[in-house]
Amino acid sequence: MKKVNILFVCGAGLGSSFACQMAAEDVLSKLGVNAKLDHSDISSAISVKPDIIITAQNFRSQFEKFSVDPKQTTIVYLKNIVSKPEIEEKIAPVLKEKGVLV
Amino acid sequence: MSVVNFIIQNILTQASVTIALIAMLGLILQKKSAGQVISGSLKTMLGFMVLSAGSTIIVGSLTYFGEIFTEGFNMQGIIPSIEAINGQAMNELGLGRDIALTFLAIFVFNIIIARFTRWKYIFLTGQAILWMATMTTVFGYFAGLRGLALILVGGFIGGVFAVAMPAIAQPFVRKITGMDDIALGHFCTVGYVFEAGVAKLFGEKGEKKKSVEDLKLPAQFEFLQDTYLSLMVVMIPLYIVTAAFAGEAFASELSGTTNYLMFAFIQSIQFVVGVYVLLSGVRLLLGEIVPAFRGIAMRLVPNAKPALDCPVLFPYSPNAVIVGFITTTIGSVVAMLVLPAFGLAMILPGMLTAFFAGGTAGIFGNLTGGARGAIIGGVVHGFFITLLPALLVTTFNSMGFVNATATDVDTVTSALLYAWIIGPLLKAL
Repeated sequence: MKKVNILFVCGAGLGSSFACQMAAEDVLSKLGVNAKLDHSDISSAISVKPDIIITAQNFRSQFEKFSVDPKQTTIVYLKNIVSKPEIEEKIAPVLKEKGVLV
Repeated sequence: MSVVNFIIQNILTQASVTIALIAMLGLILQKKSAGQVISGSLKTMLGFMVLSAGSTIIVGSLTYFGEIFTEGFNMQGIIPSIEAINGQAMNELGLGRDIALTFLAIFVFNIIIARFTRWKYIFLTGQAILWMATMTTVFGYFAGLRGLALILVGGFIGGVFAVAMPAIAQPFVRKITGMDDIALGHFCTVGYVFEAGVAKLFGEKGEKKKSVEDLKLPAQFEFLQDTYLSLMVVMIPLYIVTAAFAGEAFASELSGTTNYLMFAFIQSIQFVVGVYVLLSGVRLLLGEIVPAFRGIAMRLVPNAKPALDCPVLFPYSPNAVIVGFITTTIGSVVAMLVLPAFGLAMILPGMLTAFFAGGTAGIFGNLTGGARGAIIGGVVHGFFITLLPALLVTTFNSMGFVNATATDVDTVTSALLYAWIIGPLLKAL
């Protein structure tokens, strides 16, 4: 199966993006999705060009200013970045669209 | 015997090796494959050495800044940067190994306290624990502690803070998030609770309370959420103005053939480069250790509550974050100007902490005192978090740190605990 690249983003790329990554790891292993996960700060995020970017809602206006190719990268915004139900609910449709989840 | 001596003198004195061994232990305890253990340990070691390289860059830029500041304003200007303190303690003072072991000890004490008391908090913000380990090691060392005693006392104090601080913040966090599943693990909690108190006193009360979330804020401020960008926005004018005050004659001696203002501009970016590199190192360093700690802690402590880094709260109250950041910056500028009049050092605004601590404090202030509470509380918070590190400057200078002081009020509080209570007690014994 295709491996999907997911990047978790916060202001400094240290704490909350990492917490979100650890929560998402549990969700993805439950869904049986094979993914490569990493976290970074917002300045570096765009150059990484991952399949999916997961970040907190308060970064929405920032990301909207960047030129992100929607065909390449889908951005998912979370209110509670460590809530597994919210991550699952929002990420499952994206994973289906990317063809890694049936 | 010579093998043991070799191990002690050549391997365990290397902080990067010590921290890689800690990661290796965590990976083995999680029963990872041999390949994962090796790659994880090597990445941790790489992270540590990247961190040291970042620190060297920061020190280079700060040394330059210190010289032009002293020349330009006839006093010492101190940049509050826990990253700079950590880097200098690890490299120049040679405390890297003790900091790495204290870091491990804080994890262990955290698990023990959470396991056997009713406070089930597991502190997962790795960099905050690293800063705490730095401060307890530096100040424990200064108080005369060495070896195992230094590590155990530091680990115990850090462990108590790792449980107590999320516990103190939890009543507020519960109201902010509307649930009790996560806790706040960020060593600026004393400041948050302080702001909440001030906001309650001076803010709007009862029915009149108006949340800042109902206000419309100008969109220009949103770029400040980009950490490195906002750091540059402050450091560039700070360096250039200082170089201008130092004068062309003096500043040109340092800049060589480059124009002195251009040189100041490059050096200001260089400071941010240092922070960027250092934090990338921290990211690599913690990548393997934190999940290991999380896995182990969650197994050993039933009903454990993870205490997470402060931006976890940001989406719940984004306006309060911006208001908190701006008001805290104003408060630190006021403190910068006022403190020298009382014989304290001039502490320049520390932008990283103004954003993360200020933003979170803004959420607390808005919660207890509405918009007015968040504004008044924020300014007082900025003053407060500048005053505490100012008290440490003399000690830092006597230990040989270059133009820097710590941030994160909880770690500063632990340092003051050493300086005012543990140190004198040890001397009395």
